[in-house]
Amino acid sequence: MKYLRTFLAMFKGRKLATIGLIWFCIVAVAAIAAPLLAPFDPLEIDPVARLSEPGTPYLFGTDHFGRDSFSRAIYGARMAVIIGLGSVIVALVTGGLIGMISAYFTRLGHVLMRGVDVLMAFPALLLALVLMTLLERSVTNTIIVIGIVYATTTARILFGMTLKLKGEVFVDAAICSGAGHGSILFRHILPNLISPLLVQASFIFAFAQLQAAALDFLGLGLPPEVPSWGNMLSEERIYVTRAPWLLIFPGALIILSVFSMNLVGDAMRDSIDPRFKDDIAGV
Amino acid sequence: MALLDVTDLEIAVAAGGKLLPVVRGVSFAIEENETLGIVGESGCGKSLTSLAIMGLLEGSQVRITGGSIQFDGRELTTLSAEDRRAIMGDQMAMIFQEPMTSLNPVYRIGDQIVETLRQHRDMTKGQARDRAIELLDLVRIPEPTRRVDSFPHQMSGGQRQRVMIAMALACDPKLLIADEPTTALDVTVQKEVLDLMADLQTRTGTAIVLISHDLGVIAETCDKVAVMYRGKIAEAATTRELFSNMSHPYTRGLLNSIPVVDHDVEWLEAIPGRVPTIDEVLPGCAFHPRCPLAEDRCNAEDPAPRDVANGHAVRCHFAGGAA
Repeated sequence: MKYLRTFLAMFKGRKLATIGLIWFCIVAVAAIAAPLLAPFDPLEIDPVARLSEPGTPYLFGTDHFGRDSFSRAIYGARMAVIIGLGSVIVALVTGGLIGMISAYFTRLGHVLMRGVDVLMAFPALLLALVLMTLLERSVTNTIIVIGIVYATTTARILFGMTLKLKGEVFVDAAICSGAGHGSILFRHILPNLISPLLVQASFIFAFAQLQAAALDFLGLGLPPEVPSWGNMLSEERIYVTRAPWLLIFPGALIILSVFSMNLVGDAMRDSIDPRFKDDIAGV
Repeated sequence: MALLDVTDLEIAVAAGGKLLPVVRGVSFAIEENETLGIVGESGCGKSLTSLAIMGLLEGSQVRITGGSIQFDGRELTTLSAEDRRAIMGDQMAMIFQEPMTSLNPVYRIGDQIVETLRQHRDMTKGQARDRAIELLDLVRIPEPTRRVDSFPHQMSGGQRQRVMIAMALACDPKLLIADEPTTALDVTVQKEVLDLMADLQTRTGTAIVLISHDLGVIAETCDKVAVMYRGKIAEAATTRELFSNMSHPYTRGLLNSIPVVDHDVEWLEAIPGRVPTIDEVLPGCAFHPRCPLAEDRCNAEDPAPRDVANGHAVRCHFAGGAA
């Protein structure tokens, strides 16, 4: 409860960020309750009603198979959250571990961080494309690939912060009290990295949406049968003149979600980063 | 055999492919229940010596290049990391200069003490917590049952240093190294912390190595004193002997540069010059460029330690009468 209050305090006086947070909550609810909220089965085909205009009963219209766009959008929210969370977990765990271990064991770190540098030399989308061409299209693989792409930046950030924390006196004090490497890294250093990790998580969540949509659009992301915003764009793009709503709705959903997650991330960063504010919220 | 026996300790800094010596042949010993003070200006190697004893030099640019450190009959310089971890915090502990940064900001202070305890003692969380409260009480933290759940930023500097002492004493160590424990505190708190350490020593018999640049602090708390200058012990004696018979011009200089409160003086006497940087090579006595007694000989020949009284060794050509 205390943490929730601290978290909510970050949004005080930030209207845009609050709207972003609300939008994120709506997406999250849609994702969790998709089967209850969706009026139709997202895969159910109604050939008679194909490419129907938005209205009743098809709120967002139907696609060229006659599937309900609104239901697909709601299931798309579920995919967006799964991809977002999955990528965040993959990126933070692998990137975090690489960054922390590299900073702590300097010699190994030289090798690991050069590897990270190589991966960072590629633009994020290009790297994701290359990796996806090597793998089969699936939800898991998309998550892994996007996770790896953002693990590199996470590793960089945590490398620097761990390096700084390693020189703190409390780490020496921990060594003096007989703590081993594992205990120093995970019990003494890691808790100090929670705030930057949270901020990083919110940005990765936002960018993962964008990246996933781009991969879907290029036909290299989620399998085509999976209802996702990116797939909706990709499949219906040829109907842009006949049924533009088929692109407008998923496109708007992607933009809104990415934008609001970025706003949330900004708000979190601003209240955690002492350069923006003197008093550090929470811890 | 002494509890801690440092013999001919040499420490060097690796810089630009060269090894620059910073501590050159330091020897001292300390027994149970004893307090040894190490004094000297910044950069004389006193902190490095303490870090070497605690094994905190590992992985840095600084390394031990010679000599031995015997603790309780075990050689610390060659001890495996695992064996060392077993001793650290249990049989030897350290208090640092900056109480503001030596506690982990994201942990409650009680948890930090509990962790040290559980590392070395077979205790349940509840037992360790009870012991932590007991320790906080011992270091005179008011309301220990409540303060045990405080975060470091909720405490003052003096309180944090006391928490550090509580943490260091958690497992009743045989040796406590205190590196300028009172430097960052204001004077009244300094006195409290020093009294506390002395008091705890009489209870537990812990040997204390107190590192300081403040002769006043040393005079008040230590049994023996070693004055360090540029990586060597310039003068070593019991506190009583040292203060009644200062034989090294550097020690006298240190004492003269303490302001005397009840005397009106125009100028505070200071030791001229500065500590030579570590890459300056001085063939003779390291102190001679700043020494009021310096002669040609001091430039050429490094004085060997000589005894001016029982257990009072001085590295100066002029100690104990003419050379």
